[in-house]
This record gives sequence, C-alpha cells and structure tokens, in this order.
Amino acid sequence: MSGTSSDLPFAEFIDDYFAECDEHLTLARQCLLALEGSVGNPHLDANVVNDLFRSFHSIKGLSAMVGVREAESLAHQMESYLSALRRLRITLTKTGFETLLKGVAALEQVIAARQEYAAPPSIEAISARLGELLRSEISPAAPSASAPHQAERPIDSASKSPDALPNKRRQWTIVFSPSREASARGLNVNTVRERLKHVGEVISATPSVGTDGKISFRFVLASDEHESTFDEWRQDGLAVSLAEGLTAPAAVPQEGRHEINEAAREVSPSRLMPSNVVRVDLERLDELMRLVGDLVVSRSRLQQELERVGGSGGRHESRALDEINHAMERQLRDLREGLMRVRLVPIGEIFARMHFVVRDLIGDQGKQASLLIRGETTEIDKFLVERMMDPLLHLVRNAISHGLETPDERRAAGKPPAGRLELRASANGETIQIELEDDGRGIDRNTVLRRAREAGLVPATIVALDDASLLDVLCSPGFSTRDEADRASGRGVGMAVVRSTVEELGGTILLETEPGMGTRFSIQLPLTLAIADSLIVEVAGQLYAVPQVAVREVLKLQPADLTTMENNELIRHRDTVLPLVRLSELFGKPMRRDGAFHALVVGFGLSGLAIGVERVVGLREIVVRALNDPLIRVPGISGATELGDGRVVLILDTAQLVRTFCRRSASSERNDSGMQRPRTIGTSASS
Amino acid sequence: MTASQSFDSTFILCELAGTTYAIRSQAVRQMEMVEQITPVPNAPDFVEGVVFSRGQVVPAISLRRRFGFEPRPHDLKSRLIVISHANRIVGLLVDGAREFISISEEQQQDPPEALAAMSGRYLQAIARVNERLILILDLEAVLNFSASLDEAV
Repeated sequence: MSGTSSDLPFAEFIDDYFAECDEHLTLARQCLLALEGSVGNPHLDANVVNDLFRSFHSIKGLSAMVGVREAESLAHQMESYLSALRRLRITLTKTGFETLLKGVAALEQVIAARQEYAAPPSIEAISARLGELLRSEISPAAPSASAPHQAERPIDSASKSPDALPNKRRQWTIVFSPSREASARGLNVNTVRERLKHVGEVISATPSVGTDGKISFRFVLASDEHESTFDEWRQDGLAVSLAEGLTAPAAVPQEGRHEINEAAREVSPSRLMPSNVVRVDLERLDELMRLVGDLVVSRSRLQQELERVGGSGGRHESRALDEINHAMERQLRDLREGLMRVRLVPIGEIFARMHFVVRDLIGDQGKQASLLIRGETTEIDKFLVERMMDPLLHLVRNAISHGLETPDERRAAGKPPAGRLELRASANGETIQIELEDDGRGIDRNTVLRRAREAGLVPATIVALDDASLLDVLCSPGFSTRDEADRASGRGVGMAVVRSTVEELGGTILLETEPGMGTRFSIQLPLTLAIADSLIVEVAGQLYAVPQVAVREVLKLQPADLTTMENNELIRHRDTVLPLVRLSELFGKPMRRDGAFHALVVGFGLSGLAIGVERVVGLREIVVRALNDPLIRVPGISGATELGDGRVVLILDTAQLVRTFCRRSASSERNDSGMQRPRTIGTSASS
Repeated sequence: MTASQSFDSTFILCELAGTTYAIRSQAVRQMEMVEQITPVPNAPDFVEGVVFSRGQVVPAISLRRRFGFEPRPHDLKSRLIVISHANRIVGLLVDGAREFISISEEQQQDPPEALAAMSGRYLQAIARVNERLILILDLEAVLNFSASLDEAV
C-alpha cells in the first residue's frame, strides 16, 4: 500500500491538497522556465531559486500530510538539490536543469494518479537520477565548511537568514501537535500562530507527519523575548526550544529521512496561501451566478409590468418607479460584473504549460523554436480556461509538428533556424481574443483541397480555398493532412474538436495562413458564459436570442436590395456580396417577401452570411440555460432563456447555422453541379 | 427507477383520445396547465416544443403525435405531466389528467398482441379497475427516442 489507503489522516482535506499542489506546480514550472536561461551561469537568480524551493517544500509538507509518499519523496529530493545549489553556490548544469524538469513532470503524474485513485507511477528512475545528481554534483565539489553566510545578502523580504536578524534576537523552534483536548482549550494552529506573532516574528511554519501518523507543526520564531516567556507555553503542551546553530530540534519527527537541515532555516516556506485569499468552489460561484440570473429576469419582468401600467398611473409616480427600475438595472449589472470578476483567472496559467509542450516536441522532432507569450495576465473565466486547455495544446502541437520547418529547411528559405511561436491573449470588452501565430511554412491549400476532394468534403467545382473554407475543411471530422496521426498531434483531439469546443463556449475561431510566412489562429471567446448580451429577433412570429458576440453587423434591407441568382438571394455588403439565408425558411416556415426586414451579418470570408429575420426587437441581457434533453438538442440552437414572461426563448447558434447552410449548398452543388454560391473562388471554368 | 413493489401500485390517470392511460406516480414530478410552449425548429415532430419547469428547459412531447393520433389544440383540460425518468426530465402532453389511483399487481396483465398497432409498443401492462380498461405506459419505451430520432433526421 503506497499511501492510498482510505484511513489517511486529513482525508477530508484532499481536495485542498490537489488545489494547492496545482498552484505550487504551476509556480514551479514558471520558476523552472525562468531558470532555464541561467543554466551554466554561476549567478542564479536567488529569488527564483527560493520560490522554486518553497514550492517543493510546500508540496513535500502537504504530500506528507495526506500520505502521498512518492510526491513527498520527490519533492524532498528536489528541495535538497536546490538547497545545496544555493548554499554551495554551484552552477546549475544542463543535466541538473533537465532532471528538475523531469522531476516536476513526475511529481505532477504522481499527484494526478492520486487524484484519479490510480496506482502511482513508478518514481524509481527519476528518483535515482535525482539521487545521482545530488551525489555527483554536490558532494565532491562542496567545501567542507558551509560557505560563509555573511556574504549572502538577504534573499527576499519573506525569508530572513539567521544572520540578518538583530543581534539580540534568537530563533526558537516551537512544535505544536494538535489534539482534541488542545483544541478544547482553544489551542489550534491559528491561535498558536497568533500567539507567536505577539512575541516575535514567525519565520516559518512547517507541517509534518510523525512516524505514528500524528501531525505536528513546527514554527520557527525570531524573538527577543526571554526564555521564561515560553514557560507558560510549555505547560500548554508546546515544545519550545532554542534553535541556534545547526542543532536541529529533536522534537521534529523526520521519518528517518536525511534532511538537509539548512534548508528549513535558510528560507521560510511561504504560508500556503496569503491569509486574505479565500478559495471558493466553482460550483458555489455558479450558484451565485444563477441567483443573479434570476434577479436579472425578475427585474426585466418588473420593467415589463411598469411599461404595462405606465399609462394608468400618475406621471409623477411612474417616473419615480422608472428611476428606481433603472437604478436597479445598473446595480444588477455591477453585481453581475463583480461576480464575474471573481471567476476570472489569468490565462498565463495555461500559457506557461505550453513552454513545456514546445520544449518536449522540438526535442523529439529535431526542430528549434522559441515560444513568445504576451498578455498572460489577461483574465478569463475559470471554466473557460479549463475547457481551452486541450484545444490550445492541440494548436501548439500542430504548429510545431506541421507548421514549423526543420532548421535546414528554414535556412534554405532564408529564415533563422529557430522558429518563432507567439501565443497572445487580450481582452476586448466582453470578449477575449487568443491568438497563436507561427512563422512556419503555412498551410498548403492545394494539398488540403486535394485531400478534401478525395474525402468528398468539397464539391469538385471548388478549385481554391480561402482561409475560412480552409478552416472548414481542416475542422471537418475525419480530415487529416497526414495519413497517420503522428505522436504529437494525434491524441484524438483533432481540429474538429478544437472548433467545436470553442463554439460550445460561445466563441469563434479564425485562420489566416500565408505560404512560406506562417499561420495564425485567432480565437474569440466571451468573457464569461452564464449571462450574455443578445439581440432579440423575430422569426416567423417567434422570438429568438442571438448572442451579440456572434453578430458583426445588423442591416436593414428592402426587397430592392436583393439580387436573385440561381435561386439564391444575395446582398451587396461593403465591397463584397453575401448570400442571404432567411431564418424562417431554414426553420421550414415561409417568410413574407414584401417589405423591409433585418439581416444579421455573421461569419467571415467564404463563410460570411447574412441571416434574414423579420425584425430585430432589441438588445437584452439574457441568462443562458442549457438544453439537456437529446430531443431538443437540434442544430442551430445552443440554449434557451426567458425574457420575463415565463416563455422560453431559444438561443441561436449562428456558427452552426452558417455551417448547416454551407453544407446544404455544398451538397446540392454536388448534386446538380450548379453554382449555388457565386463567390466560390474562380470556379466557372469547370467541366 | 424501479422501486419497491408497494410504490409500484400508485398511478396518475390521464386521458388521451378517449382512452385512459396510467403513469407510475413516482415518475411524476408535477402536473401543469398547458401554457406557452415554444416550438423548436427541426426537432422531431412529436416534440411540440419546450417549456420551463422549475427553472429547467424541458421538451413537451405530444403523446397524441407520439402514438399516432390526430393532434388537436390544447384547452383548459389539457395537462402537461412532467416526468423524471432515467436522468431525463420530460413533459408529456395529454388531453386531461385528474385521478390518482392504486392498481394492484393482480389487476395488471400483459398487453394483448392486438394493441401493438397503435400505442401498443409503449404499454407495459393493461389493467381492469371497476370495469374500466386502463393502459399502463412503459415510460422507457415512450422516452426511448433513438428510433424515432433516426427517422426524423
């Protein structure tokens, strides 16, 4: 049994454990990337090393608490290595760096396995490498006496080296073992900490598990109080000892492991989280969002009632009510925005992981590349960030496997041997834009077109693909530019899944590619999901909502604005021509052909389309509800909402509508080989 | 949701095209007057639309269309019976529903072959209670739309 037994102490904290480990691993990865540039350089950035050390130290302590032994042991080894690096001022070697990288990956796997209740992966190999590292790089070169401390500047404000402390101050080690009776006397970790703060400065607090499975906390305290101060504490069952010199307090159980004692003293492991930060389950936020959603609906109901009775009441009264109603509208919007902000996390969290993907892949494929990240502080809904992880991974893998050339090919093309990838994020009002750009060979339209024809994805009349239709083809299920999915990009997450994920999240994806110059994917996502500004439109006597994000423009059209061409209606828009699809006809209902109507411009390039509706009723803030039953999950409808009268209003998925339309016209083209969509590039020379 | 025998014997009775059907009462979440139903374009034809039921969007199924009877407009007696079955929540539209009765095991028998033509394949059993013939619905069959969805697409 390797620490996965169910009678673990602190089993109830296991979720916190995963969350905290995740944070520390994220931090550790960032630190490692920052250190990569210092490989072979004798001057390591002390702050980064300290942060990394702290992450390992925390993971070690946490893993010990919940009994994940493998993680504890790995973290311990890496911590020891770092500690020695810093203490002995050893240059970080390439081997050392790579071993740390592998170590972090192994740590992640071990913790993930625990989370999935799977058997922990073997850590023998990596553990042996770390051990070897410690032996070969640390021991022989190490001066017998520790490097003199006085030369070392205080590393950062949070970690006070003993020598930096005022002379009179002494360091104390206080060990507290929580117990039921102690807690009955009001003694717990927090009260102890508070007490310590009164008499001095808490330098570190480390949890550990003794051989008997009991937990204890070791505090290191810098205090100028006299020893007698602590007498009373000892009566409370706290073990207090003077911790000067190198004598490690014997009271701390170390499970017989060799511990580099300096470690705990040189750097204080940061407290796991700053005390003013609260961790909240996403579900609770969802619940709050739902409640705010209900409020939004109630308020619009109120507004409708006010409008209805508006005529009958006195003018003065109704104006006062209107003002209150509008104030409520603003306040609700503020409330909603505030709540939304709580859910936001920096996108850098997932961006940073891409560095590792790039590192791994270029190594495997003999390519060179650098990844540039911009806008990593851009904030995005936590839920969205998690859903975007796999699609982004896929795009990055694709960019390296298919986009970037080998160094030789690049030189031959007059480019620098190392490819450049750039991952950017930016916020733009209610939407987030994520872009991935490479300076590789670009996508070969002809190859794609040929294969798409072979697969029957495009009619033979199409002789060239523009960017939008190229993306359509790439995202068709079953399309692959390689006969065999290679290791990197063939993990079952094809472009089809990338696009469907983005669209499920209410976003859009665009592609631009230039032969020999590179490729760029741009993803637009709504900032958050639950509430969206939407256009309310009327189609065949029924109201529908269209998320505003999806609509590029609203046009008012007269019958005279239309040109009919082979059963297709076209409108001139700016400098192009757009096909018009009347929504009611897509829904199997006729639409009046006389009189003015509105059209929503959606999609880009060849997928650009004007969607004809009877009229646009207005712009409303809607609460999005899911359609769960398979019976009502129909193409073109992404959800439902209500506008205050208890009636369901369906939300249109314009991206899907556009595709449905294109597929229909493509298949009818194939049947009658007529030209349904005259904008298809350079066609008519065919047959 | 196959619960204990004791519960198996209570049913909600509903009327449809002059026939009395019974739905196991444990499956019934609520019964409502038929108000506004929003049609869903391109959904199977027996899906009359969607309604809100306790904050959830649920499909409203016309049992008349499902069973192949002539559809007719809803009136004050029409009811929407919202049932919960196999993790799905679905509304069934019927001509009327009022009664709540117990039917013992002995009163139930397998549906006769002859009924198979119409709603027969959606029946679990038939029962005779006080000289009335009652058809007990097989919710599994009523809600199993895979066959019908294939036809609709």
